Amino acid sequence: MPPKKRIFPRQKVCRFCADKSLVIDYKEVRTLRNFVTERGKIIPSRIYGNCAKHQRKLTDAIKKARQIALMPYTGPTYL
Amino acid sequence: MRRYETIFIVRPNIAEDEIDAVINKTSSIIEGDGGIIIRIDKWGLKKLAYLIKKESQGYYVYLDYAGIPASVSEIERIFRIDDKVLKYLTIKLADSCDPEAIKEELASIEAALTSAEDETKEEEKVSPAKAAETTTEEEVKEDESPSETAGISAENEAKEDEESPSEEKQAD
Repeated sequence: MPPKKRIFPRQKVCRFCADKSLVIDYKEVRTLRNFVTERGKIIPSRIYGNCAKHQRKLTDAIKKARQIALMPYTGPTYL
Repeated sequence: MRRYETIFIVRPNIAEDEIDAVINKTSSIIEGDGGIIIRIDKWGLKKLAYLIKKESQGYYVYLDYAGIPASVSEIERIFRIDDKVLKYLTIKLADSCDPEAIKEELASIEAALTSAEDETKEEEKVSPAKAAETTTEEEVKEDESPSETAGISAENEAKEDEESPSEEKQAD
């Protein structure tokens, strides 16, 4: 019988909790762009392990940035 | 008195003095209602993430001010009428703010600016460093992820002894 291969997920830490200097602001597109896919979709928190509080702020910020055309609703982020 | 910030995008082919005219008009509305303008920032010509009124570029202007709700609705009404303004976004930063405290703050900032102009240079130095940090973090993440999935390899044996003894037993 082959041994069961169990995957131990590495404990993910919220980046914004770990690094207090990293602020979520809809005007700072450079940090926000790390949390969207190439097509501009928001990456779920289970991937990066953001805490709920920061993920909520992040999505708010991304949606605001989209409204004022700093980030795309769809399509590549090539700015 | 509430604190707001407004960003608006002007058409790219508009002359500089016409943009100034738009800014002056909005600031006169704010001050006419007894508000205070804290900061006016011209971000300049930027590429838009998507087309707005068939324009692919836009001139961004950022306003930070303390004012009353009526002046915001008036500004937005004028933006909607104005053909030069492509899009605007107003965000409320604080429900209440003390106008006198802001005035003092502004005065102290101005004093700081005149006394030491080097500080702004230092701030500029800090921001690229921050960006560098975030990129390195990502690299680290990418480096570590293959070792997780690789499972039992000779190199990671020592590491796994500590992390997951149960897996070792099963492998035996």
